[in-house]
Amino acid sequence: MLYAKYLKMHLRSSMQYRFNTTFISITQVLVSVGEVLSVWMLFGTFTSIGGYGFYECLLLMGITFAVFSLSECFACGYDEFSDLIRSGDFDRILIRPVNINYQILASKFDLVKLPRVALGLTISIIALVNLNIEWDVLKVLVFISTIISGTMIVIGIFIISAGISIYTIEQLEFVNILTHGSKEIAYYPINIYAKWLTRIFTFVIPVACFNYLPLSFLLGIGNIPMWLCGLAPVFGMLFIIPCLLFFNFSLKKYKSSGS
Amino acid sequence: MRPYLSIFKMNFKGELQYRGKAISGVMTQVFWGFLNIYLYIACLQNTSVDGFSISQMASYIWLGQAFFAIRFIMMGKKIGKNIENGNICYHFVRPLNIYSQWFCQTFGEKLSSVLLRFPPIIILGLLLPAGLGLSLPVSVPAFLLFLIGLILGLCMSVTISMFAVYLTFKTLSKRGSSSIVNTITGLFSGMVIPLPLMPQAIQNVVNYLPFRFITDLPFRIYIGNVGITEGAIFLAIGFAWLIVLIIIGKLLIRSALKKTVIQGG
Repeated sequence: MLYAKYLKMHLRSSMQYRFNTTFISITQVLVSVGEVLSVWMLFGTFTSIGGYGFYECLLLMGITFAVFSLSECFACGYDEFSDLIRSGDFDRILIRPVNINYQILASKFDLVKLPRVALGLTISIIALVNLNIEWDVLKVLVFISTIISGTMIVIGIFIISAGISIYTIEQLEFVNILTHGSKEIAYYPINIYAKWLTRIFTFVIPVACFNYLPLSFLLGIGNIPMWLCGLAPVFGMLFIIPCLLFFNFSLKKYKSSGS
Repeated sequence: MRPYLSIFKMNFKGELQYRGKAISGVMTQVFWGFLNIYLYIACLQNTSVDGFSISQMASYIWLGQAFFAIRFIMMGKKIGKNIENGNICYHFVRPLNIYSQWFCQTFGEKLSSVLLRFPPIIILGLLLPAGLGLSLPVSVPAFLLFLIGLILGLCMSVTISMFAVYLTFKTLSKRGSSSIVNTITGLFSGMVIPLPLMPQAIQNVVNYLPFRFITDLPFRIYIGNVGITEGAIFLAIGFAWLIVLIIIGKLLIRSALKKTVIQGG
């Protein structure tokens, strides 16, 4: 399969710079450890944030690490799409007889993010163990679909920002509001923010679908109907469809930067 | 002194060209400001912290957003790239001290990016209602001390950036080095969470580390969380740290230069 070949090629090339790859992977993990420390320190002063205790917030953070790192690793081509445009490499992609989205996905893998996926999942499990949840099949399914849905939503966000960079060429900093902003919001229960912010990050960019809603289902708290909370990750997965439509529409307006 | 001054000027003016980027940056900072304020309101609603009310917290956050360019540790744009691609050798052949060249380069870029970004955020902060916006400084002396603190913060930030340059020199990875230095600085400078919200035991240590002099100290003087006398004493400690760190930085860079292999550019 072509995708596997690409993956192997990228793995080999990053192994050529073994020290660099290892060093960056370690620093990536350290960044996350710093973020965990900051939550731990906040809970040294406060007992709850928006009704969530330390382990609830740790679970949110673990899920967020995992879904963002998975997306940053496998959808790096969209995340750094403006580089592809500016360097002119995108023109090469256009002339090949393979689906464009497939090629963008295969154009780059940021493998240094993988240790952080492991860290995120470990943190989530530590949190889940400490939360005294009565597990059943349904809850396991909701947790797994939360991770899948979260990854798809984040990839969707990357696709939108890639679509925007077709018009702007340069990746503008305010696009960070979409990408890093969603990450920042996902670290804490989304109900603590102002109504307008919560609404945007529930209905426009469905961060809540891998944050507050499935957690309400797992923990059995909150006043939103349980079936809705449980199905939220599934709704979240649909987000990627309009993202792809927007991207493919933008592609028709593409003008080469000429370099 | 003159060549250093012109390095500073060149980079100061260079950075001023990126006005579009600054506008986009301001939008991001404002968004971040709101996120942080809502988060800490959620924290402070149930438990109050002495000397750090919700409106003081909001002021602290807006000052942090306005002077974000000071807080963010970033070596001069070209320095990291030059180390990675070998163009660094052009810096060596100049009859100038290498540390001072880089210092002035980073200082110039940083100062202009601060000056471009802070006015709109300060104005917006002042327009927002109390409890969500920026309040006026507690007193005139506090404001003057705050200004001195900002200058110290700017120098401290550049000095700490030089350690990222040193690490890049050692590891040849700009990305890894910047993120390591930024994580440590972010955590202990009050950028990730304001220092007054940390547990007391941790504060007792962090208050004396160099990172808090970047912006935490001036902001706390501004909001009245740290008094005038205490603030002045801390400023003196900060300046002492600054001198020590510059000396250490110079020695480290000098030792790194003895064993430099230029990457064929």
